[in-house]
Amino acid sequence: MNAGAVGGSLGAPEFELQGISKQFPGVKALDDVSFEIRAGEVHMLLGENGAGKSTLMKVLCGAYQADSGAFFHRGEPVRIASPADAGKFGIAVIFQDFTLVPYLDIAQNIFLGREFASRIPGLTDRRRTYVEARRVLESIGFDIDPRTLVYRLGVAQQQMVEIAKALSQDARILVMDEPTAALSARETEQLFAAIRRLKRGGVAIVYISHRLAEVFALGDRITVLRDGRKVASVLPADTSPDDLVTLMVGRAVDTTYGRTFCAQPGDVVLDVKGLAADSGISAIDLTVRAGEIVGLCGLVGSGRTEVARAIFGADRVTAGEISLAGERIDGSPHDSARRGIAFIPENRKTQGLALARSVGDNIVLAGLQTMFPAGLYAPHRAAQAAQVMIDKLRIATPGPRRIVGLLSGGNQQKVVIGKWLNAGARFFIFDEPTRGIDVGTKAEIFKLLDALASEGAGILMISSEQTEIVHVCDRAYVMRDQQIVGELSREQLTEANIVRLGMQS
Amino acid sequence: MTKPCAVATPSLLARVPGVAIVLAILFVVLGLTSPSFATPANVANILVQSTILLLLALPMTLIIMTEGLDLSMGAVLTFASIALAITVLATGSVSLALLAALVVGSGFGLLNGWLVAALDIPPFIATLGTLGIAQGLSLVATDGQSVVGIPRSIQVVYSGSMLGIPIPIVIGAVAFALLCLLLYRTRFGTYVFALGGNREALRLAGVPVRRMLIAVYALGGAMAGFAALLMTGRMSAAHPTAGLGLEFDAIAAVAVGGTSFERGDGWLIGTLLGVVTVGVLRNGLNLLALPSSVQVACIGALVIFALFVDGLRSRA
Repeated sequence: MNAGAVGGSLGAPEFELQGISKQFPGVKALDDVSFEIRAGEVHMLLGENGAGKSTLMKVLCGAYQADSGAFFHRGEPVRIASPADAGKFGIAVIFQDFTLVPYLDIAQNIFLGREFASRIPGLTDRRRTYVEARRVLESIGFDIDPRTLVYRLGVAQQQMVEIAKALSQDARILVMDEPTAALSARETEQLFAAIRRLKRGGVAIVYISHRLAEVFALGDRITVLRDGRKVASVLPADTSPDDLVTLMVGRAVDTTYGRTFCAQPGDVVLDVKGLAADSGISAIDLTVRAGEIVGLCGLVGSGRTEVARAIFGADRVTAGEISLAGERIDGSPHDSARRGIAFIPENRKTQGLALARSVGDNIVLAGLQTMFPAGLYAPHRAAQAAQVMIDKLRIATPGPRRIVGLLSGGNQQKVVIGKWLNAGARFFIFDEPTRGIDVGTKAEIFKLLDALASEGAGILMISSEQTEIVHVCDRAYVMRDQQIVGELSREQLTEANIVRLGMQS
Repeated sequence: MTKPCAVATPSLLARVPGVAIVLAILFVVLGLTSPSFATPANVANILVQSTILLLLALPMTLIIMTEGLDLSMGAVLTFASIALAITVLATGSVSLALLAALVVGSGFGLLNGWLVAALDIPPFIATLGTLGIAQGLSLVATDGQSVVGIPRSIQVVYSGSMLGIPIPIVIGAVAFALLCLLLYRTRFGTYVFALGGNREALRLAGVPVRRMLIAVYALGGAMAGFAALLMTGRMSAAHPTAGLGLEFDAIAAVAVGGTSFERGDGWLIGTLLGVVTVGVLRNGLNLLALPSSVQVACIGALVIFALFVDGLRSRA
């Protein structure tokens, strides 16, 4: 009694994309990708970061225009030029950042912009709103009072409201982008139950996932993308988790970063034992020695950044201890910075730099207290210190007075590093150091990391780019679900091992 | 398989609005210190005196819910009051005069909305600018003098009564009911919540976001224009500084009432209680013969105290 399979395998697919290509400046995001979506089927879309999954979905929902390729709706050729077009064919996307209004109730959110008019002109028909909302919620098995204000709901419940909102607009194809990323095991089970119910109702689901377990638990068909190309479209019965990992990462490595690996690591710079924090991470053990670059990898949301924040004192630590060069630290970001920990955050623009200020101002920012203990600022000494860093790091700027916001991404990153070097940092945490940086500058950033390490600094590097971890790090820790699930030595450090540890659950 | 979904229910303490607690404390304290405070006549007096503030604080709630602000309301009321006085003296027609006040008020409201929605000027700056313009125009139009000789028909709007109920209380009640209807029972009201809560969601739902935002500010201006009628009646004149600082009281009342300045979280009953709280405080301090400068300081302290009580509750 598999109604979905019957509806799905007969006749034309609900929707089909053929030979889709999409070029962005400098990168071919999609290269001749074909993809079919059948009613009553969950189609899992897999791939590493940057494989083209999101681009493909944006093409499908009309947010991007494909450079070439064709669309077919139930066998008929169609055009998708805007999100409105996609809506006409019943395509709805559930975005990761929700489109809900916190202080409206569930029913009002479901019908936002499509309110029912009452017989009294100007007013809305509340009774009808709640009746219809109840009907939609029931259809996905979500038992909740539609008068509940949305701000009271958890993430999983909000997701259900999003699904209800999409279905109330007669969605026949639901695109979900990592819907379980923020859900607990029980919530995930509830979501899966809802998805299975939708499937039985003949809805087609495109499900982007990073978790191999759910790919097999839920998928009817699996498509793997790699570097913008479709490398496989298989049925779950014909494949295995190991095969999928190989398909995802099986690429010839073409970029190498100059790195003299650390043969003889020095003393332990950072020692973390049993660390747990408010943010949810727990039982974190890790060490970094002088001269080492240690990777911290895992999927987005696995708790990598939270570990860095806890070490730096930005989140409240609830258990465990952190020592820097043998000295116990338990402090605030202020204390950590004073003792020589540098945190170079993921988002340079909002967290790392005062964008409207000069290169010089930014470089001396973290070291002001040590440079000018009396609190009196001496501009010429600040300028000297800035010039030292500009020379040392070869920051491409006409001078220390240049506004940081006008520099390239790579040079901005160098300014952040210079800021911490000037403050006397000896342990560096890099959170996604190459995000938004072009390939040439990437190599330069890694050269810098290498130089820092060979001068005896300890470095902890968080990155979603597994190739980078493999090519740059002496060792790496892999995280999953807020915990460290494995450590890989230089010899074991391969992309396949990282993916295997990070995904299986 | 349907499992009822657990939703966090607020504790009993958190369900009693903070403003009600503050109001109760204030009432008891003033009742004990001033014998003439807790009398029916004085309570009616407080309500009458609070009406003008209510007419400003209600639309101010909506504006603040959109993560906006209108600093120009007091000055716009003043200018509308002068337009009303001049028109009634020139034509003798009360309805024409009211029309003039409404035109001035809505005009400034539309201007505020246009500056905020179309030109993307931060509401604080945009309405600070129009505050200056309206205040300046009031002084220019009157040469700094009060406009006197207001006919009794306008004074009656403030001092008269209908079926034994003072007319301002009737006006206040009608305005409150209409605004509740608007916020909770119309599309427009739903969009007000969304303008502050998730403007992007509203845009994605195909709602003309800018037009809605302009309408919210225009409503504020129009109500300030209407409040000018009561103000002129109360003073029996139009003073070029009559509305000075009213926006302060209005914003204070909204804040005391528990409307949040972000995420589109607001409610009109809270604002009503906030207005009464500010009115009770002013009245009580008057009875204690404290100067108005002290009253302003006390309202400032009240805002901080009310938000402190709110903070305690949300942690409870």
